[in-house]
Amino acid sequence: MEAAEQQTERCRWKAGAPYLVGALILIIPPFFLSSYGQGIMTRFLILALFAMSYNIVFGYAGLLSLGHAAFFGAGGYMVAILKLHYGVNLFWIAAPLGILVATLTAALFGLVALRAVGIYFLLVTFALGQMMYALAWNVKWLSSAGMNGITGINLPDLAIPGFMLNTTSLYYMVFIFFAISFLLLYRLVYSPYGLAVQGIREDETRMQAVGYNTWLYKYITFVITGAFAGMAGVLFSYYNFFVSPKHLGVVTSFLPMVMCIMGGLGTFVGPIIGAAVFIFVEHFSSVYFPERWPLVLGGVFVLTIIFAREGIGVYLWRLWRKLNYQYGSVKG
Amino acid sequence: MEALKVEGLCKNFGGVSAVSNVSLSITVGERLAIIGPNGAGKTTLFNLVNGQLSATAGRIYFFGEDVTDLPTYRRAHLGQARAFQIISLLQRMTVLNNALVTLHGTRPSRFEMFRHVREFRNVFDLAAETLKALDLWERRDEPVEHLGYGEQRRLEIGLGLAMKPKLLLLDEPSAGLTKEEGADIINIIKKLGQEITVLVVDHDMGMVFELAERIIVLHYGQIIADGTPEEIQADQRVREIYMGIEE
Repeated sequence: MEAAEQQTERCRWKAGAPYLVGALILIIPPFFLSSYGQGIMTRFLILALFAMSYNIVFGYAGLLSLGHAAFFGAGGYMVAILKLHYGVNLFWIAAPLGILVATLTAALFGLVALRAVGIYFLLVTFALGQMMYALAWNVKWLSSAGMNGITGINLPDLAIPGFMLNTTSLYYMVFIFFAISFLLLYRLVYSPYGLAVQGIREDETRMQAVGYNTWLYKYITFVITGAFAGMAGVLFSYYNFFVSPKHLGVVTSFLPMVMCIMGGLGTFVGPIIGAAVFIFVEHFSSVYFPERWPLVLGGVFVLTIIFAREGIGVYLWRLWRKLNYQYGSVKG
Repeated sequence: MEALKVEGLCKNFGGVSAVSNVSLSITVGERLAIIGPNGAGKTTLFNLVNGQLSATAGRIYFFGEDVTDLPTYRRAHLGQARAFQIISLLQRMTVLNNALVTLHGTRPSRFEMFRHVREFRNVFDLAAETLKALDLWERRDEPVEHLGYGEQRRLEIGLGLAMKPKLLLLDEPSAGLTKEEGADIINIIKKLGQEITVLVVDHDMGMVFELAERIIVLHYGQIIADGTPEEIQADQRVREIYMGIEE
C-alpha cells in the first residue's frame, strides 16, 4: 500500500514536471531578453490567455463562438476610453472596470446567443461581434481625433511609490495575471462544474436527465470566459498602446480559434502551445516575408490539420509520454 | 400512494397526434410496462413524463406534485432517472467521470468550481462502489466508447440506480442485447427494492412478461388495454393488433 502511494506521489511529480519546466521558461529567460523580445513574450502571454478563455467555450463547452473578440475588445476599449476621456490611468480602476465591461457584454450577448444552437449560435455570436465592430467604427466618442481607434494609451500607473512600469515589469505583471488565470481555469476544468460542462458538450439531453440545468451551465461558462477575454483585452491595450475596431471584430475572434485548433482543442495546455506557434510564425515570417505572414500562418495551420490533427500540444504530450515509457523508471 | 399520475395527456406534432388523451397512474413500487407496435407513442409518452417534450394538453403528477411544466433537470432532482433507448452515456469521457458527473447532478456540489471533482469523498466512494458492483472499476479510466454495448447498457442503468431514484424509466433496456445480457438487466431490475417504481417500455415480450406486474398497451397514441400480464395475453383486441403480428 505504501509503495503504491509512493508510486502515486512520483506519478504526480512526473505529471507536474512539464508545468514546472513551462513556468521556469516563462519566468527566467525573459529577464535577459531585449525589450523587443520581452514585448513578443508579453504579446504571447496575452494571446495565450485569450486563447485559454476561448478554449473553455469552444473546446470544453463545445460552443463554437465567432464573437469572442467582442469581450477582448470591450476590455481594451474600456481602458482606452478611461484614458482618453477621463484621464484615468490608474491600473486598479481601469483593469477592474475593463473586466467588468467585458463580463457585462458577455452576459448580454449570452442571453441572446444561447437561444440558438450549433451553426445558428455561431452566426448570432458573429453578428453580435460585428455590431461591436461597427459601433467602434461609427461612434466618434470611441475614437481619438481623426482616427479609427484610440491611441495614447500608456503603461498603467500601479500607484506603488517609487515604481514605474517598464517593458520588463509589464511582462512580469502580465505573467502574474496569466499564471493566476491558468490556475483558476485549471481548477475550473477539473471541478464538478467543469466536468458537467464537458458532459453537456457530449450529450446535453443526458445531462438534463441526470439533473443539470444545461442552459445555465452554458451561460455561466460564456460569461466567465468573457471576463477572462476582457482581462486579456485590458492587458493588450497596455501592451499595444492602441486599440482599434478590428480588435472587436471577427478577424480577432478567429485568432484564439486558430490557436486552440493548432495547439489541441479541449486540452488544457493546447491553446498556450497554439499561441506560441502563432507568435513564432508571426514573428519570423514578418521578418523574412513581410506582408506575407498570414499566408505562412495559413500554411502552418493546414499542415497542423493534416499531420497533427488533434493539435501540436497533444502530439508533444504523446511524445513526452512515450519518452517516459522508454526512459522513465515509472511505467504508466 | 401514486408515484406517477398522468391525466388526459396529449402530444401533437403538427397535425399528427402521437399521444392522445392518455391517463394512467402507477403506485409506488409497481413495475409497469408499456408495450405497443412501432409508432404507438411509447417513447413520446416517456419523453413527456421525463420532460424532454412538453405536453400539448393534460397534467403529469409525480408523487402528488404537478410537474407538467417543470424542466427535465428539476424532475431528476425530484427522483426520476432515465435510461434512454439509444445509449446516452458521455462516450468520449471516462467510465469514472461518467459516474461522477451523473452522481453530482442531483447534489448541490454540481456547482462547485474550485475543488477537484475527485475531492468529494462521498460522491467518489459511491461512484467506486457502483462501478465495482457493475464489474467496471478496473476499466474506470477508459473512455466509455471502449466498452461493449451490453456493458454500456449495464453502466447506464447502474448509474441511473446510483442516483437513488424514486422512479426508474427504462426505454427499451434490452434493445440490441444478447440473451445473456438481457437476462443480466432483468436480474438487476428484479433485485430492486419496493421503494423504486419502474416504468419500462420494450418490444421484448419475454422481458416484459417476466418483469411487469401490470402492462399497458398503447396503440396510435391511445391506451387500448391495461391489466396483468395474463389479462393482456388473453385480451382479444390486443391479440389482434399487436400480439397477432408476433404469432
